[in-house]
Amino acid sequence: MMRSPYDRFLFRGAISLGFAALVALQMFDPALPGFFPPCPLRALTGWYCPGCGSLRAMHQLLNGNVGAALAMNPFAVIALPFLSYGMASHACFEIRGRYLPGVFIPGRWIWIMAVAIVAFGVARNLPVYPLSLLAPGVMLGVKF
Amino acid sequence: MYCPTCGANNADNAAVCVQCGRTLNAMVPAATVPNYLVFAILVTVFCCLPTGIAAIIYAAQVNTKLQAGDIAGAQQASKNAKMWVLISVGAGLLLTCAYILFIVVMSMSHR
Repeated sequence: MMRSPYDRFLFRGAISLGFAALVALQMFDPALPGFFPPCPLRALTGWYCPGCGSLRAMHQLLNGNVGAALAMNPFAVIALPFLSYGMASHACFEIRGRYLPGVFIPGRWIWIMAVAIVAFGVARNLPVYPLSLLAPGVMLGVKF
Repeated sequence: MYCPTCGANNADNAAVCVQCGRTLNAMVPAATVPNYLVFAILVTVFCCLPTGIAAIIYAAQVNTKLQAGDIAGAQQASKNAKMWVLISVGAGLLLTCAYILFIVVMSMSHR
């Protein structure tokens, strides 16, 4: 629950920052150099992490290009509704003291999710044909 | 205990049904033990794979223990999940600062 005016200030600050970030993400394409800094992991190791391309995917989604978004990071696009609802639920808890109605996910499924995220991260780095399609942008015929 | 909604056989003191997730123990609504799964996935994907995975595994443990009726265990796992999310966020911020510093130093030394 929101206990103090300070809590409320922090919460509103976080929400406003989030919206500002979405507006910036709609206007500037992270695939182009300039506005967004390059990912440190990618710059230092050359690997694609499981989240690689998710900002570019969000930019494409905010501009209505679902196909391009899927090509950047299919996992991020599929997980987006779940993650947004979960964050809204936590925000609801902060405001009203209870979570939004949700489906209980059995522990085993969460284990499967963890394995799937790691497997996705490994697969998109392998230079083997069907797996290499998972690297950001490859399905669009672009290589980053 | 058989679930009144779906009929699945659960542990006698289970807080939620293994199959459909229905709250079985009215004293302990499952919603009071958050598993922080959303944040665990976000930190895993956005910054810190190893510590984020630890958070996801604790999130899984929260739900597994709720299914088994181990409320105290679920609450402990919930605390651990939260801790690993915060560790990941901290590590992410630290690494980002170090990276920005690195870029600034590099660009200055190239002048």
